[in-house]
Amino acid sequence: MDLTPRPVTDAESRAQNRRRRWAPMIIVALALVAGGVVVSQFLTSAIDYYCNVDEVGVRDGCVGQRRIRVQGIVVENSLKQTNGVTEFSLVFQDKTLRVQYQGDPGGVFQECIPVVAHGRVVDGVFDSDRIEVKHTNQYVEKNKTRFEATKETAACSQLPG
Amino acid sequence: MTTTQSTATPTTQKLGIATAIAVSFLVLSGLIFSAEDVVQGSTVRMMYVHVPSIWVAYLAFGLTALCSAVYVSNRSRSLIWDRFAGASAEIGVLFVAISLVTGSLWGRLTWGTFWVWDARLTSTAFLFITYIGYLAVRRLGGTFTQRARRSAIMALLAVLEIPLVHFSVNLWRTLHQKASIADPNAKVQLDGFMLFTLFWGLVSFSMLFAWLLIHRQRLMALEDAVQDQGLDRAIQERRTEAGR
Repeated sequence: MDLTPRPVTDAESRAQNRRRRWAPMIIVALALVAGGVVVSQFLTSAIDYYCNVDEVGVRDGCVGQRRIRVQGIVVENSLKQTNGVTEFSLVFQDKTLRVQYQGDPGGVFQECIPVVAHGRVVDGVFDSDRIEVKHTNQYVEKNKTRFEATKETAACSQLPG
Repeated sequence: MTTTQSTATPTTQKLGIATAIAVSFLVLSGLIFSAEDVVQGSTVRMMYVHVPSIWVAYLAFGLTALCSAVYVSNRSRSLIWDRFAGASAEIGVLFVAISLVTGSLWGRLTWGTFWVWDARLTSTAFLFITYIGYLAVRRLGGTFTQRARRSAIMALLAVLEIPLVHFSVNLWRTLHQKASIADPNAKVQLDGFMLFTLFWGLVSFSMLFAWLLIHRQRLMALEDAVQDQGLDRAIQERRTEAGR
């Protein structure tokens, strides 16, 4: 019995076989490229030091005018929005930092909520060009709060103490 | 005459109906019965899809690794384990995609951005890409045994990413919040009905996973059988030629 593979004569079947053979290889190659892009993006974003407010000007990488990310909680009654500029203070471990941001931060930004601000310290004020709201892992039903908190200050009712 | 084979049995039909009921109740509970969050408002409802999706993805990839380990360690090298591994990975990829999309939408509404390259989001995206690669590797050709062996090795390596994804929020400073129910201090951080709805989401999505897994594995067995029939037919043709 002759068991040698036969050449496929039908042109359509040949093209189909080729596609079937190459498609997974292309997907594997694309997955490798995509994996490389994801890792490089992560490493590039990690270039900006991630500092808590109390580490600004103290910890290595958080000093000087270099671009950093600062994490802290928006201080109650510190939020001011005038002429498209948002100003507020961030607190972490009893240290505060004044932040200035052009525009509306978006998300659920409000007082007493943890945020991450991207930018640099200029004359003691953190000049930010990007704000990300860092929601806590606590979820409280709206109707369970003891008083009807307004949306703007709702996060303050969640603070301990 | 063509014969049709169904992947359903009375048991899977019952499971399907139970899953449909469970998911329907989740929709009602998530959209109507559960209250808004004091800070996030209605946006919190995203959680009832986002968290169960990633839970199912972890479960699916864990099962893929387990079935691969059984395939590799078992002398019989039964292909049923390989098919369960492949089917589970396919469903896992689908649910990671759902988790990434819902997470991105939720992020836009709460964080103010669709995407940040923080450790949790990046590692989840990497997990998604890894398993897309796994599925492509399964289709690289060769015999069923070759497919099973190479994909089993990849599955056993890929599963190591799951602890990295899950604990990334503790290992790095991330924008993504820490775990609410799987907190290392075991302190539940969700109010009553929110916790129940989330728990119900985990249960109903797990049922959906089981239903999809059984059907997909059976479909894969039929696909393999069709491929086998093609080979049998070719051998039969050669035998006929040789007999002439």
